[in-house]
Amino acid sequence: MSSDTKQIGPNTLDLRGLMCPEPVLKTKKMLDQNPQEPLEVLVDSQVNVMNLTRLANSLGLQLQSEEEQDGYKVTIKKNEEAGSQISPHTHDSSRKVVPESRQSNSEKSSSSSVVFIAKDTFGEGDRDFSVNLLNVFLQTIMQAGHRPQAILLANSGVRLMDPDSSVRKVLDEFHDSGSQVLACGLCVEYYGLKEKIKPEQITNMYAICEYLFSADKLITP
Amino acid sequence: MRVLCYNHGSDKMTTSNNETSKKLTANVKAAGCAAKISSLQLKQVLSSIPRTHCPELLTSLENFEDAAVYKITEDIAIIETVDFFPPVVDDPFLFGRIAAVNALSDVYAMGGKPVIALNVLCFPTCDYPLSVVEEILRGGQSACAEAGVAVAGGHSIQGPEPVFGLSVTGVIDPRSILTNGGAKNGDVLLLTKPLGTGVMLLGLKGGTLSELETKQLLDSLTLLNKSALEIAKKYKPSAATDITGFGLIGHTAEMAAASGLSAYLYIDELPFFTGALSLASQGFVPAGAYGNRNTFESSVINLDHIDVAIQDLIFDPQTSGGLMFALQEEQAMRLLAELIEAGLTASIIGGFVEGKPGQIEVKK
Repeated sequence: MSSDTKQIGPNTLDLRGLMCPEPVLKTKKMLDQNPQEPLEVLVDSQVNVMNLTRLANSLGLQLQSEEEQDGYKVTIKKNEEAGSQISPHTHDSSRKVVPESRQSNSEKSSSSSVVFIAKDTFGEGDRDFSVNLLNVFLQTIMQAGHRPQAILLANSGVRLMDPDSSVRKVLDEFHDSGSQVLACGLCVEYYGLKEKIKPEQITNMYAICEYLFSADKLITP
Repeated sequence: MRVLCYNHGSDKMTTSNNETSKKLTANVKAAGCAAKISSLQLKQVLSSIPRTHCPELLTSLENFEDAAVYKITEDIAIIETVDFFPPVVDDPFLFGRIAAVNALSDVYAMGGKPVIALNVLCFPTCDYPLSVVEEILRGGQSACAEAGVAVAGGHSIQGPEPVFGLSVTGVIDPRSILTNGGAKNGDVLLLTKPLGTGVMLLGLKGGTLSELETKQLLDSLTLLNKSALEIAKKYKPSAATDITGFGLIGHTAEMAAASGLSAYLYIDELPFFTGALSLASQGFVPAGAYGNRNTFESSVINLDHIDVAIQDLIFDPQTSGGLMFALQEEQAMRLLAELIEAGLTASIIGGFVEGKPGQIEVKK
């Protein structure tokens, strides 16, 4: 605890006079240390109150605030209805936009997994068979209900986006159901597919790297 | 070098040894364009100030243009703009660079070519060594050099917190000015940088960004809008602006109002910085975002249909934000492809329809 934060009682923080984002950071630290205990926080402005409300929502906690003479008193505690189990209802609106990698609970979703396909076959073997196998692989993912955040296609993998490819159909299904299906621009150009792929599905190496590094789970067939 | 200083909170004059240094963002209450005075307050103040009529002035204050344009001949007009703010990052070179990129952007947003710039600097020389000033100016110079702009002078004063920016002069053919008011019914909107700098800068200040998130943010903040404009001009946009202090919603509303049209935004198409949604949902939301919400939320239809974190990000004040163009859909698709090929971020995020001027519908 730094010298500019006054911890008044065991569970009261005086965060008045601190600038953003300090009140959020210090409150979060305290909540992480003592998740079971109710916490009282004093802050200067309504902006602090609104930011702490967002923090509480993201942790599935309840927040009450009252205006006092020189600021606001904010009380954060466990959601009473939910008891010790965090109910999914307590964080539906603010939770679903958070990338999976940031969430502390284990919601079953594959929104931050990324599939990286750098060739147009599934493993090495008979060519026709290997292309078919890739099709089966993607269809199985689709049918199992997994929706990767992105399917990235590079090198000869971009050939799967050719309208003549047997795999294109399932890739379009992923695209329509919310996954980003993106092809490497250099590769698209090299394999002469530029006219056959929608511009918004063509990306660059920078974006590909962003996806690969920010993915929770990387799947490469 | 020893400088005579007046210490706040004591009556003594002391000398500074210029050796101790604190973090550049230490005393800053609002970072970057989040430090802007709210649009509502600004309108109120400006309404009482008389104007001098000037037929050569091609822009009007009512349309909240990015810069003023003054016609000199039928072929040449000059663009004037000034922009400055307190430090957004602790590295003085980067701060200078970001402030300059942000100031130059207003000329690009009018479709022009910046040519000369003047430094605007306020600095507490007692709190920081002079080498910090030097680095800030060096950062500004690096952006100007890349833009082909000569730094021709400037003005500096002492002040309680550092402030830096530029006054920039640009040139343009008066017939090719890109204003807020030129958007046509049926045009789509194309945006060239990710959204969420206000939220991300709070995360950076709080030390919660990953290396990759920091890099993505700084790369975007220090990127000139020069190439994006040069490419976009080929596709004949009907209107342009840059997304800065009033956030995506504020600047979209201004363009819609000035063009006499309603706008729509596809929420799922909006490009956000990696990590921005998570930070916003945890309460890393700058005061300016709440101010913009206050000013503009009555212009937005179906706002309550979208997640609070996304709402915060579309109101988030942007520093050194991207350019936003209104243009025909077919042209926009070709522009999108060329921008992406050039390694720039670009997304088609919405468009314009006939309707209540200045209104924005957010769609999933």
